[in-house]
Amino acid sequence: MRRRKPGPSGIVAAPLETKSQDNARRDNIASVAQGRLKTYETGAPNARRFLDLLSRRITRSLAVSLTACVHCGMCAESCHYFLARPDDPTMTPVYKADQIRRVFKRHLDWTGRVVPWWVKASAPENDEDLNRLKNVVFGACSACRRCTLNCPMGVDTALLVRFTRGLLTELGIVPEGVFNVSRDQWETGNQMAVSEADYLETLEWMRDEVRAELADPTVEIPVDRPDCDVLYTINPREIKFDPRSIAHAAKIFHVAGEKWTLPKWGWDQTNFGLFSGDDRLGAFVAGNVYEAAARLRAGRIVISECGHGYRSTRWEGYDWASRDQTAPTESVVVTLGRYLAEGRIRVDASRNPVPVTFHDSCNIARSGDLVEEPRRVLRQVCLDFREMTPNGRENFCCTGGGGLLSMAEYRPLRLEVARIKADQLRATGAGQVCTMCHNCVDGLADVIRHYKIDMKVVQVLDLVSRALMAPR
Amino acid sequence: MSPLLKVLENEVQVAALLFMAAVYALRLVWIFRFRLPKARTFPAGSAARGIAYSLMNVAMPWAMESTRKKPGFYVQFVIFHLGVAAAISATLIIPYRPALFENEVLVRVFQAVIAAAFLMGLLRLYRRLANPVVRLVSSADDYLSLVLMILFFAAGVMAVPNDYRRAEWPLVLFFGLTAFFLVYVPFSKIGHYLYYPFARIFLGRALGRRGALPAGSIRGRGAEREAGR
Amino acid sequence: MPFIEHDDSKIEVNEEGFLAHPEEWTEDVARILAKVEEGLDELTPEHWVVVNYIRDYYREKGLAPMVRKMCQASGFALMRIYDLFPSGPAKGACKVAGLPKPDGCV
Repeated sequence: MRRRKPGPSGIVAAPLETKSQDNARRDNIASVAQGRLKTYETGAPNARRFLDLLSRRITRSLAVSLTACVHCGMCAESCHYFLARPDDPTMTPVYKADQIRRVFKRHLDWTGRVVPWWVKASAPENDEDLNRLKNVVFGACSACRRCTLNCPMGVDTALLVRFTRGLLTELGIVPEGVFNVSRDQWETGNQMAVSEADYLETLEWMRDEVRAELADPTVEIPVDRPDCDVLYTINPREIKFDPRSIAHAAKIFHVAGEKWTLPKWGWDQTNFGLFSGDDRLGAFVAGNVYEAAARLRAGRIVISECGHGYRSTRWEGYDWASRDQTAPTESVVVTLGRYLAEGRIRVDASRNPVPVTFHDSCNIARSGDLVEEPRRVLRQVCLDFREMTPNGRENFCCTGGGGLLSMAEYRPLRLEVARIKADQLRATGAGQVCTMCHNCVDGLADVIRHYKIDMKVVQVLDLVSRALMAPR
Repeated sequence: MSPLLKVLENEVQVAALLFMAAVYALRLVWIFRFRLPKARTFPAGSAARGIAYSLMNVAMPWAMESTRKKPGFYVQFVIFHLGVAAAISATLIIPYRPALFENEVLVRVFQAVIAAAFLMGLLRLYRRLANPVVRLVSSADDYLSLVLMILFFAAGVMAVPNDYRRAEWPLVLFFGLTAFFLVYVPFSKIGHYLYYPFARIFLGRALGRRGALPAGSIRGRGAEREAGR
Repeated sequence: MPFIEHDDSKIEVNEEGFLAHPEEWTEDVARILAKVEEGLDELTPEHWVVVNYIRDYYREKGLAPMVRKMCQASGFALMRIYDLFPSGPAKGACKVAGLPKPDGCV
């Protein structure tokens, strides 16, 4: 019988780096002192604690995902990690899920408890085992959920990955980038430690830019204005690195005659709790947004273009914060679609002549509800819109998802497997790829640079802003 | 018919079935003891439609990229499980409606289906040993379950003619294996049929509510959304 | 950690192409990073205005300055910063200035 030999494993053997965590403990920062942000303790019975957390946190849907897998391997070819490394069976979703499944079987499942070897059940015994698990669930998966949609049984591997990340985060066994961003979001309320002064100054700067562009001194970027129809929330990246998207939004809101505001606190719609698996952090950050909307009596919450931010603020955040949704919560792309449908803004598609393709973000199209909405907008603001293949719910991850952009140690593997994405982009022949996620912007930019593709990344706000016609 | 076979075909099966039902019930209690967090958002689609779509997934090979890319695997899955259905039906027909198997054509049809499933079983065993992806994750439970199913199908082909006057051993083997399966299934991977509907329901509900499933219902949802806001 | 090799120099960088040891930065290192990572054949005085501002800010505050501050100090519009450093202020200008990669998903 011909047995095919597998190649070497791509799972990155990154050690646990705790320098940031040590500094945080030494400085006794608030979130650590108050026990909200967990740090790694050498010498603690971490493996034992891991199992206790597993028992306490497991939900019905997770338990079923753990027991329903029949090891058929149909998920394998839906995963870009395996497609790019077909000789490496450790890159398949089933293998990655099995790393937590085996623990569940050993600890909670009757066959696994009585005869573990029979079902390959085994629990982690030491911190090295937990660190290896960290490298699997943080480093070899972007939690894109493509495997979930391709499983004949309905096993939700992406959810299992997030669950496992959450257990490890509680023990401080995380990549350093994950700790840093979590710390910043806990301590400052936003993912990039932007101060209130910096935030307000940047908004004023962009207001001045839009006033100049429209030659209209009445343009405002209101902060903390009550009783508005729209509460706009943004990605800290827009303040720290590229505020052009804020200017675009302000311009469009102004032309549309919208009654809108940004909040002074609770303006960060991104949410590292989604990536680290930390529901507590998720509840805190999303809760800030919901509180701001309630405090300012806003009609609806509008989320700027960010995939994981959309999923966290529109969907998961309410569950994490145990808060029933009261205000409509939507993506700014939906808002734009409404403005176009209602004639509140007019656009000239000839201002966007370069062919554009659209990259559906995992957290928006697969774990969210928006597939047709961005397309409806794009078809009105571009001359040449073309689809990539596959697209919509079946699109491939930008490869930078799941927080991978913050984890330097996994970058070489991520760029290696991005070959799948590069091929997909090139095949469109488009000069621009549009996406409604800031993470994807950077993820795709990395792919484009690494594979030397002649393409620029744009967002929907960029294209609409370019096509926007002055009010009559 | 010998008293052994008579008891094996009837009382033993009933006992084993009752045992399986009891263990199944315990397993359901175990599943339902895990909490199911409540969703607190405005839906963007229908949970019920998502559930229906998700459960129908098994009959829609075009719905998933994996089954579109590997239609052979899907065909193999269908034949294998048709064989399971035929074999299980046989375990009920033989003791309670033996007249049905006096119909030569029906017997041949059953034999053909179960024999095809037997071949699929052999193919699956080969795949589980030769394909590195599946081999890496397969356990003793996976292998034994498959080997037993292959034996079960082989016994089924021989047992279905129900010719106990000529030779009883195929029937003894068939019903013996069935009783064994009924007791073994809840503790093995074959128990997946218990979890399968729940997994599909949970996924269908979560993504249906979110409007991500069913695929292709997006045009309708746009209008729902505008109205809802 | 990988290395960038250019002419006779070898510079250690992390997986993202940022300087592994910020204390090793020199103007020559900056030129090499600009060439290899940003595709810039030379650094004009305009580039240096931005780079020097970033370095001063980092020395004083220990973090990367916001793009707003970069624009104010250099007098350049935001678009000009993107023209000068194609990868943008975080991944382009800060990298050439020898800073470690800024935290966050970017």
